[in-house]
Amino acid sequence: MRWMTLSLVLFSVILFSLASTAARAQGLAFVIDSGAAAISVVDVASAREIRRVPVLREPHHMALTPDHRFLLIGDTAGNELIFLDPVSGGVARRIPMPDPYQLQFSPDGKTLVVTELARNRVDIYDAGSYHLRFRLALGSFPSHINFSPDSKTAFVTLQQSNQLVAIATGSGDVRWKIDIGDTPAGVLWLDGRVLVAVMGRDGLAVVNPANGAIERRVATGRGAHNLFLSPDGRTLYVANRVDGTIAVLDPKTLVVQREISLPGGPDDLDFAPDGKLWVTRRFAHSVAVLDPASGKYEIIEVGRSPHGIWLNTHDHLPRAVAGAPAGHS
Amino acid sequence: MSDPLDTIAGWIAEHAAIPLLWHLGLMQWEDLAYGWALFAVYGAVQVALMYAICLPLERFFPIEHWPDHRVEWTDMFYTILARVGILPLFTFVLFFRVQAAFSGLLADHDLVAPTLERAIPALFGHPVPTFILYALILDFADYWRHRLSHRFRWWYALHALHHAQRQMTFWSDDRNHLLDDLIAALWFGVIALAIGVAPLQFPVLVLVLRFLESLSHANTRLSFGWLGDRLLISPRFHRAHHAIRAAGAKSCNYGAVFPFWDMLFGTADFTATPGMTGDPKADEALASGSYLAQQWAGLRGFLHALGVMEHSQ
Ligand SMILES: [Zn+2]
Ligand SMILES: [Zn+2]
Repeated sequence: MRWMTLSLVLFSVILFSLASTAARAQGLAFVIDSGAAAISVVDVASAREIRRVPVLREPHHMALTPDHRFLLIGDTAGNELIFLDPVSGGVARRIPMPDPYQLQFSPDGKTLVVTELARNRVDIYDAGSYHLRFRLALGSFPSHINFSPDSKTAFVTLQQSNQLVAIATGSGDVRWKIDIGDTPAGVLWLDGRVLVAVMGRDGLAVVNPANGAIERRVATGRGAHNLFLSPDGRTLYVANRVDGTIAVLDPKTLVVQREISLPGGPDDLDFAPDGKLWVTRRFAHSVAVLDPASGKYEIIEVGRSPHGIWLNTHDHLPRAVAGAPAGHS
Repeated sequence: MSDPLDTIAGWIAEHAAIPLLWHLGLMQWEDLAYGWALFAVYGAVQVALMYAICLPLERFFPIEHWPDHRVEWTDMFYTILARVGILPLFTFVLFFRVQAAFSGLLADHDLVAPTLERAIPALFGHPVPTFILYALILDFADYWRHRLSHRFRWWYALHALHHAQRQMTFWSDDRNHLLDDLIAALWFGVIALAIGVAPLQFPVLVLVLRFLESLSHANTRLSFGWLGDRLLISPRFHRAHHAIRAAGAKSCNYGAVFPFWDMLFGTADFTATPGMTGDPKADEALASGSYLAQQWAGLRGFLHALGVMEHSQ
């Protein structure tokens, strides 16, 4: 009898913890408040900030480790890399790292590239050990990063040098470096081309990854800052910082189909399971939850100067408990 | 308090600073532009707060009465320049560069730039005690900077500009020679690098401290009482530092925010009756000249003290 009670209790405890893990695994957004030295943890379902994780100084961007165990957060002025549990939002570990601004893992999960914007270095680390392989001085204000699908080349924008550089991840050699226009920011590999958002101008540059030739330019709006491909691959979104718009493009033709007004300095975005875009608004201490179909959005207040954003609702995450898939609509 | 101010700063960044940078081809500085907007907005609030609180104090509980207030306009200009204007922008760009270079140099040797929170992990995530500790250290450094600026002839030649004002009001806190400001910025810069200061992290608290510094110059009888005067520097305490007999090398009450350092190092005077201020030995241009005339007179005194320039009448 006692055994039965005990196992019942145990069973319900396990069930309960599974259920709560599942619930949380479905629904947290991590927003980096770069001007508040904190990470806002937002409950996706209720669209409310539930907790603020303090960090040392000035965090900007994050990357999920290839094994999905940690969300890495770079604290630039704090010179730290913070390991966050992507399910609970708890801080697991912190290691010293100089000026980590943008950080991104290669598609094969073997290389981590980190840009040190303030002191003009591009660092190539071993993804598993965080051992520094190369520290490269390539130009001024290295910023956004993207990779070729074979992971052999990293593309980095140099915001003050007005250049795009292609780096061989294996050797640290520069494959090519080109002038691309005033203050290049976001960079994205798309269908065999490299797209760069040129913030000092009004749109994208389309670059041939083999030789760095600029093939064409596409106007999206003043201050084109960053670009994102939807999870289904059918839509390309460009955040235009100066115009305060999100341009909606056909990724095949790069034709601008619509422009959605989103004031407040739109910056990074992520995709929620219901198809909405969660966009950080740098100058409005908030996140906009934008319905791209209607152009309407709701506001979630967070800390000062929110920059990077990531939702733990993506269905490829193994941490999502079986039987309760997140799924995209 | 911070949210509406952040909103205003954001509005300025979005609708004025960022479009301007875009047109000038300087978008790489957009993050700094927002920082400056924040600084300027909090500075404007400091000035408004000073005005709202100090003006009635000076009107209803004054120590001195003056026939006209023309010489205060220059002090007002100093205040706007220092708290809302160009100076913070300059300091920002410079400090941003120096801090990045310093932490980078350390990182190249596998070291991490020091911060108080790393030295005392218990502070982590507790902004108020963290800030108070930072404020105490910086205030201690400022005590010694100020005390030394009275000690050396060349340095006091610059600092005399601050003391020359005979109509000392809450506007007088920022009247300093640009070279003196530069020395102070370098002094703070070194300390800030050593303890890893993050001023934008605590804008409301910085606002309160700057307000106290302005208040301490106000022309008012206000004191904080026996105990209060020994915890925070009051107008009564700082007026003794500006007294005519305290100008130059034999002064007292060098502190800016906390009186502890004066008490600890034997320079505190809580007994002086509040009276007139000024430096009778200072060039008249330092007292009543225009902004540029004051700067020029300060530079002349500085070069003369160094023996570079002959005294000309
Ligand atoms: Zn003095
Ligand atoms: Zn003073």
